[in-house]
Amino acid sequence: MSLQKVQFVEGNTDIIRQCPGTKHHICCGYQTIDLIEGCVLSCSYCILKAYLKNDAIKISYGPDAITGELDRRIDAGTDHILRFGTGELSDSLALDRRLQLNAFLVDYFGKKKKAILELKSKWADFRHLIPHLNPYTVISFSVSPQRFIDAEEKRTSPIRKRLKAARLAQDNGCFVGLHFDPVVIYDGFERDYRYLIEDIGRILDPEKIIWISLGLLRFPAALYGQLIEKKRKYLLTGEFIRGEDGKYRYIKPERIRIYKLLYKLLKNIDSRLFIYLCMERADIWKEVFGLTIQDNESLIQLFDKRIKNLYGGML
Amino acid sequence: MTQVPLSRIDLKDGRFSLSYGRDNANLRSSIDAVGIIEPVILLDQKSYIPVAGLRRLHCARALRIRSVPAIIVAISEQEALLKAIHTNIERGYNIIEKASVLYKMHRLGFPRPDILALMRYLDLNPHEKILEIFIAIAGLEIVYKQFIFTHNVSLRNIESFLRFDMPERRRIVRSLAGFHLTESTLREIFEMLHILRIRKGKLTGRDIPVLPNAESLRAYLKERTHPILTSLTRKLKAIRDTMPMPRGIDIRVDPFFEKEYIDLVLRIKDYDDLRTALAKISGLADAGYLRSILELTKGTIR
Repeated sequence: MSLQKVQFVEGNTDIIRQCPGTKHHICCGYQTIDLIEGCVLSCSYCILKAYLKNDAIKISYGPDAITGELDRRIDAGTDHILRFGTGELSDSLALDRRLQLNAFLVDYFGKKKKAILELKSKWADFRHLIPHLNPYTVISFSVSPQRFIDAEEKRTSPIRKRLKAARLAQDNGCFVGLHFDPVVIYDGFERDYRYLIEDIGRILDPEKIIWISLGLLRFPAALYGQLIEKKRKYLLTGEFIRGEDGKYRYIKPERIRIYKLLYKLLKNIDSRLFIYLCMERADIWKEVFGLTIQDNESLIQLFDKRIKNLYGGML
Repeated sequence: MTQVPLSRIDLKDGRFSLSYGRDNANLRSSIDAVGIIEPVILLDQKSYIPVAGLRRLHCARALRIRSVPAIIVAISEQEALLKAIHTNIERGYNIIEKASVLYKMHRLGFPRPDILALMRYLDLNPHEKILEIFIAIAGLEIVYKQFIFTHNVSLRNIESFLRFDMPERRRIVRSLAGFHLTESTLREIFEMLHILRIRKGKLTGRDIPVLPNAESLRAYLKERTHPILTSLTRKLKAIRDTMPMPRGIDIRVDPFFEKEYIDLVLRIKDYDDLRTALAKISGLADAGYLRSILELTKGTIR
């Protein structure tokens, strides 16, 4: 599937990091395990194009060092339930069937029973992991309308396959996560998202959706020029401003309008769904959800509560 | 060196000519005063072809000089072009001349590595993409070259300009030619035009009107690409226009209305000043001005 060069390097402890978040925006406190740097899916808006210097896929593989560091972090004692994921600098599943990188992590979290591993993907095949699956692994998919996928996520799985894969994960005893990220403004996007959310309600069991994130399109300045050069109509329809962190994002009234729209549609599926905003400002949280989330800590507490509710004494 | 009659030189043959935008008046006065001191270089053909010194030859003809000192060379066209390039390299080349140098090397079939190597002498990054931009500049119509030359357009902005199609370029140059343009204003205008073009498919005359100055054009385009931001900026201005702004107090609002707070800046020199300033701020708050400004930052008004 990929023509990109794949380099293997010895994995070490520094591939586990706190999500860098972004200045003046609230982050969920997720920790990343960067087994892979670079992505074969090559979505047109991907910020990795701006962050990563070369096109090669770099794989850090050293299960002992990685699990040792995970032990250290998880056993260090914290008031919070730690969440880790491999989908920050790459797609968690796109290369996994071929390279079998995640199985040891899924096994590790299943045995550890103290923290959660989230595999985030736009690639709808995780069948090779089914024998390893356990409740401590969350299979998550980015979700977008098919029209947008056709235009900007050409190498990824179609949305129906992603949703069917999510259902398969639920049927195998996993919670799933959904990430509406990036949500993009284009002609007719409201209708497309309405249909998408109706599909989610039909295909998935809402009780086994652990969380849903909403994140409107944002990207570093370096990518803006590239999008203009490549005439990405879908990505340039909305009204962009430079945020306080220097990134381009939609102007605030638009962000609020769209978050409210999606929130309402999702809550129509099931009012108990746990929905959060990815990298947003405190005043947007207040306006959209009516919640006072002043800092990362406040959001992390919401996650703790959600996980405790779902897992009971299992964590 | 020999003395060659002007009549034996083909002054219309500019194949090795690299000059652009140079003022001939001083050169002509100099030649009128002391004649041509440095011999011109001519390629040995049936009619001699100027390799270096075409401007001097044109001045000589204008001054009705019958013959000029020359060095006749019998070399290949590639060697002649290199001679022409290196003869003038010391004085430096402007952007259009650099484009001409690289385009002529390209046209005469110089190997790519040789062209890239010469780019260093021209203070250019020897990169294929940059070479392609310069070759494109050389192929532009004179009106666009003149626009680039007179406005000292940066390479980045030229690259952006080249992405417009021919009718769009014509409209852009017609609209911008008479303005004083800074690098950043031009970049912003091009960026907004590209956004409109991507959204609409192509730009028409309505998208690039002829307005009195660059700022008017910038504001016109901003309203079309950023209608909400423009509306919020207008509302803020309307509040500021009606607000009796006390001296020594400044209210700073994020230009993108992203920050949920505003900054109040006081200039005070003693405690009495502070009390006075606070009383004035209190007056602004009581009159509702500060609330109105804060509402603009909440994202609930368009």
